[in-house]
Amino acid sequence: MSGEIVSAGGRQELQEGPQGNAAARGPFTARQLSRLDEALTLSSRETGLMFSVYVGGLQPPARAHAEALFERLDERSVLLAVSPGQRLLHIVTGPESVKRLPNRACALAALAMRASFANGDLVGGIVTGLRMLSDAAGNR
Amino acid sequence: MSVTETVLVFVAIPLGVVALLTLAVYGKSLVRQPNRYRPGRAWNYPPSWYVPHPEAVVARPKSGPTTAVGGASGEW
Repeated sequence: MSGEIVSAGGRQELQEGPQGNAAARGPFTARQLSRLDEALTLSSRETGLMFSVYVGGLQPPARAHAEALFERLDERSVLLAVSPGQRLLHIVTGPESVKRLPNRACALAALAMRASFANGDLVGGIVTGLRMLSDAAGNR
Repeated sequence: MSVTETVLVFVAIPLGVVALLTLAVYGKSLVRQPNRYRPGRAWNYPPSWYVPHPEAVVARPKSGPTTAVGGASGEW
């Protein structure tokens, strides 16, 4: 099961599903999508790292699935894989991004994200995680 | 009181009050967040992958799969 790459900013594409408005059927409202888009774009622009967020099921072993997804990205990417159904979260860094984001920084972001997710705030958790990771990575 | 009146007073009015209260309590969140996530509930949406705007990061040519090096995991 692999995710389809969707630009959070490309809301045009998102809304042109065969069944009409995809934003209404999808997990997030238009406002949440724009928050997500803003956080992704800002943190990527500030750090020069390529942040991306995968929301969906992870086949066990989940870590291996998240790393398999990561293989499609480039070396300075950071993948945040969130599986709300399994209540799992994986942050994956690559050869270049790991120099900016040591595992300790990722663990701290994961901890903050878990707190929001446990309260049912998916987008809030993702935005917090992105902000913490980009703060830890610093400017390029 | 006729049967119709009795039904109206003892069934229709309480039902109306209950409906009004339900709407007052849940109406706003139903309209604003129809698909809110609750921990422990099933997640039936197709997987999606969100990436930043293309102009935020300059695309870099890539040869072969990238190996994952580090990161962190968590459960909630």
